[in-house]
Amino acid sequence: MRRLLPWALWLWICAVIVGAFYYAPLAAKFIGQSSRILFFHVPMAWASFVAFVAAGAWSVLYLWKRRPDDDRAAAAAVELGLVFAVLATLTGAMWAKVMWHAWWNWDPRQMSIVIALAFYGAYLILRGGVEDPEARARLCAVYATIGLVVAPYLYFVMPRAASFSLHPQPVVNAAAKVEMNARMLQVLLASSLGFTVFFFWVHGLRRRLLRLADRRAMTAATGSVAS
Amino acid sequence: MIEGGIGWVALVNLVIWTGLFLYLLRLEAQVRDLEKER
Repeated sequence: MRRLLPWALWLWICAVIVGAFYYAPLAAKFIGQSSRILFFHVPMAWASFVAFVAAGAWSVLYLWKRRPDDDRAAAAAVELGLVFAVLATLTGAMWAKVMWHAWWNWDPRQMSIVIALAFYGAYLILRGGVEDPEARARLCAVYATIGLVVAPYLYFVMPRAASFSLHPQPVVNAAAKVEMNARMLQVLLASSLGFTVFFFWVHGLRRRLLRLADRRAMTAATGSVAS
Repeated sequence: MIEGGIGWVALVNLVIWTGLFLYLLRLEAQVRDLEKER
């Protein structure tokens, strides 16, 4: 059963790809086929948000239980969150080039994701800058816990607080309603679910790799002390 | 953005996703083997 789950994910994403190109209609007021990028751009941004919140949650767990595995889980989540955020930024820039005739426009939503990239990029710099594993884990956990406030603000509050934005309305608009074609919404939700599951799958893999690397480093350190 | 039909774009997406998926599946098998060794 466990071996079948990745294949179920593969099939799910294949269905999302086919749905994005053949099942969902084109959105009004978008140039050409450009609205189809929505089914990949928004789920990538969503997956990055899930990753950053998950990193915060694992960091809280680390501060509470002091288990090294929670620290590794938080680090893996931040790494993957950054990958998804970069992909969301790139797909957004591609779309902006088509719609706004410029890759970059200093739009509030573009700025908020850049600040998120800088904030979580700093997490990795902090991680690389502290040698003592326990101090590193503690500092990073505090930093990622602050992210539990920063990430929701950057993703949901800052773009909505701006008085003007070229960016299309968010899925849940200012009136707290979802005004989207039913087929488009189905594909978007399916894609967001697929990307979220994909994140947790790859995260588990990365976490196990970090655990193996830590064990190897510990064995090497013990070996060098013994010799 | 995608003139002249979207079939090939969908196909490229499917090929890239399948390639990434197979790579990750292989990586997972390698990690499992390493964990067993230890």
